[in-house]
Amino acid sequence: MIKDNEYEALEKIVGSQNISREPVILDTYAFQWCAELLNVINDKPPARYYLRPAAVILPSSTEEIQQIVRVCNKYGLKFKAFSTGLGPWNCVSTPRTIQIDLRRMNKIVKIDTKNQYAVVEPYVSGAQLQAEVMKFGLNCHMPGAGPQVSPLASATSMAGPGFTSASTGFAGRNVLGVEWVLPSGDLLQLGALGQKNDPDWFTGDGPGPSLRGIMRGFVGAKSGLGIFTKVAVKLYPFPSKPEWKISGESPNYKFEIPNYLKFYIINYKDWDALTNALRRFEEEEISFMCYYASRGAICASFANSREEMFSYYSIHTRLKRPLTLMIGAQTEREFEYKKKIVEGLIQETGGKDYTKKIKIRDVSYAEALRCLLGFHGFLITGCFQSTHGGMDTIEMAIRMAKLNAPIKRKFIEKGGIADDQGEGVWLATYERGHMAHCEMPTMYDATKPESVVGWVEYAHACDELDLKEHLGIPFFIEGDKQHEWYGPHCMNYHIWLRKIKEAFDPQNIADPGFYITSKKTS
Amino acid sequence: MTLELKKLADYKDIMERCIRCSMCKWIPQVQIKSWKYAQVCPSIDEYNFHAYSGGGRMIIALSLLTERIGYSEELLNIVYRCTACGACAVSCKYLNDLEPLEVIEALRKKIVEDGEGPLPAHKKYMKLTEEVHNPYGEEPSKRLDWLPSDIKVSKNSKLAYFVGCTTSYRRKEIAIATARIFNKAGVEFQLLGEDEFCCGSPILRAGGEAQVLDLIKRNIKAFKERGIETIVTSCAGCYSTLKADYPRYVKHDFKILHTSELLEQLLKEGKLKLKKEVPLTVTYHDPCHLGRCSEPYKEWHGEIMEPIPLVRFPVPPLPLRQGTYGCYYPPRNVLKAIPGLKLVEMERIKEYAYCCGAGGGVKAAFPDFALKTAGRRLEEAIDTGADTLVSCCPFCATNLQDAIKANNAPIKFYDLTELVLKAMED
Repeated sequence: MIKDNEYEALEKIVGSQNISREPVILDTYAFQWCAELLNVINDKPPARYYLRPAAVILPSSTEEIQQIVRVCNKYGLKFKAFSTGLGPWNCVSTPRTIQIDLRRMNKIVKIDTKNQYAVVEPYVSGAQLQAEVMKFGLNCHMPGAGPQVSPLASATSMAGPGFTSASTGFAGRNVLGVEWVLPSGDLLQLGALGQKNDPDWFTGDGPGPSLRGIMRGFVGAKSGLGIFTKVAVKLYPFPSKPEWKISGESPNYKFEIPNYLKFYIINYKDWDALTNALRRFEEEEISFMCYYASRGAICASFANSREEMFSYYSIHTRLKRPLTLMIGAQTEREFEYKKKIVEGLIQETGGKDYTKKIKIRDVSYAEALRCLLGFHGFLITGCFQSTHGGMDTIEMAIRMAKLNAPIKRKFIEKGGIADDQGEGVWLATYERGHMAHCEMPTMYDATKPESVVGWVEYAHACDELDLKEHLGIPFFIEGDKQHEWYGPHCMNYHIWLRKIKEAFDPQNIADPGFYITSKKTS
Repeated sequence: MTLELKKLADYKDIMERCIRCSMCKWIPQVQIKSWKYAQVCPSIDEYNFHAYSGGGRMIIALSLLTERIGYSEELLNIVYRCTACGACAVSCKYLNDLEPLEVIEALRKKIVEDGEGPLPAHKKYMKLTEEVHNPYGEEPSKRLDWLPSDIKVSKNSKLAYFVGCTTSYRRKEIAIATARIFNKAGVEFQLLGEDEFCCGSPILRAGGEAQVLDLIKRNIKAFKERGIETIVTSCAGCYSTLKADYPRYVKHDFKILHTSELLEQLLKEGKLKLKKEVPLTVTYHDPCHLGRCSEPYKEWHGEIMEPIPLVRFPVPPLPLRQGTYGCYYPPRNVLKAIPGLKLVEMERIKEYAYCCGAGGGVKAAFPDFALKTAGRRLEEAIDTGADTLVSCCPFCATNLQDAIKANNAPIKFYDLTELVLKAMED
């Protein structure tokens, strides 16, 4: 519960129309994608709702956020911020926590075409940013969660892999200058933005020690260390001619594929051949996108209905270890060069070109550029989530996929999760293959308790596997319980993480539920 | 989705399957071409809390149904501060099969059935419609006051011009232009006059299902008694109600046409000749109920199979109303046939057009919100460089013209028929 005087203090900052404690509004913030998983993980029934916030507030500026945070400090309220808000980690985790919805902070502050970066506020979506930077022949890293999510949230607070990671890295690689409201309400400006004279956004590292690792590390603090109000992200040349011509009516859109862009689906007989192919394609530095998705995922990502997806079944059975590749070029000559490299590498690596058999629609190119292919995963059971994931080398990612399959099959047989033959894997190279990301999208039915429980049981087994087989840095280790279990296996990192929390937020004002709790006050 | 009428409880599974992805707030992602015109829901654009989105309202409906929340003034305001324009449903169904618009409509019906709504402004026009057959409270005897004496009207044509309440009483210029075009093109038509009752759209959008059923039955009977086979409407709301909603309650075999469709047909047949130059740069606003909401519901008799455990598979496939087959091209084709006229498009068009802000009972209950939304649409129209905004719906016309006046906006407004008439004049 929030007391009247506390509510009034917040109301003074944003005006009565931008704050609410009405249950009808609060409930819409308690309902989240995968909240039912979080409930089961925390030994509760698999409800689609998590905790209701004490109030929801909609600030419009950094200054208002600072004032809100100071009010929270004054009254012992906690806060939890989110941008576009997709996923259970956007929920508040403890009572007397206010939800700070950053929707009103939605401006593209700056596009620096010369130095190739853009400065955005929290509620700018990936699609919005991409559409604007394309006008200058540029592109941005699009978070894998889809074009509707916030690049700021991805850059500052989430892992942020994406379908184009081969050429655009992951979100953590793209963050430059940052404006950060600390749990005290003070403002911290990272990197070049913090310079006294002529501050700018071009780097996140200042002359002193970098704070980017503290700010986000691998997966981000998810508002557990404050609120990020502006961020500069790197931009890249658009992979082809920056044209976006689309016609027709939903869902039958026709996309005029820009010059010098081409998809390939190349089938490999086994994991070893795929590993070699991933390495070789990336050594040649030709890909815009380069990833492995299981055969079922291939069928889903190029279909726009379940019926169409199942119509690909005959192809599905013939695909073994398909590599999805997209190349782009600025000139005909560059395009021809890259196509020749691909053709040569297909031969060299023993692959078979399945591109024409999948019948990739022209709009799939638009969806690929806009990072919408992953969203097709929802077609199958209506819901999916990755149980675990890691980022390390190509070899580690492949090993993770191989080791995971028999465990997944065991849980499929139990009946909780959908049958993908244990093969549901998304594995993307990063930065020309220097790194690779692997995660295990797992389909379940969010409305069936036994399915939700089945997913969680399988996820626990995956976490055990990560520890036993040292499978890189895992996703989804969040909150005290998980960190305290995982930390002792990994140099007791959780003790250091807690020291950071205690240094920045000794009172636990920033909701620690998806980060770690300061123990100083307990 | 289907012809079958459902109660809110029937949508529970759909509500529970929302993933809160927020696609419903944006135009389909592959259509986004700028920061400025990426969003599609007037309600969340104005009020910002997630509750004001298509997905948010599905969560509210689920919370109400499962008794997590009860009725409150705030709940009613949120449910009715929605133009029921259906843009959320188009964006959701690009890659999903949920039905946010149907849930919103079912929620409004439940509110009325439970005696908790609609809002006073809606109750007022519902009562007036019952009493004088139009929501404005105008005298039925004045329904044909717009009709100039030189217009020829047939008494027994099988084609009826269903003028609609807003056109008859508030946008008479549209009725006059339409009738003159019909005369010039040799289209015989009858008018129902006092016998023309409201189509029921405003009542239906507010959730008054019980009241609208009698009206539908009465109107269908009146059409049959007059030997009508084809009904032509000026109003997008009348059009979608007659074409898409009526068959859900009472099956009929009337051919429902919007004036733009008939004009396109007349152009193709050479009966409509547009010779006079109309030197305007125009942009066209797609009315929601002429476009995405006019798609008929389809019958579906099947079952949800699970060929693979947990994979739900409707057999045969469920028909989805995705906005694919709305009336988008007839108005554009007619505009393109006008000599000297240049058509420039806004960014948000056809099935992902931004609503004018008037529909769903909003103009009556929340006029300021309606006006602000129209202002946003005007800004988009002005950004095209057009000097004229054209549409095909008297309700859109009213709200957009109100906004032009309120904002002193540098753009003119015409109904399509007015421009066609200009191009026909000797």
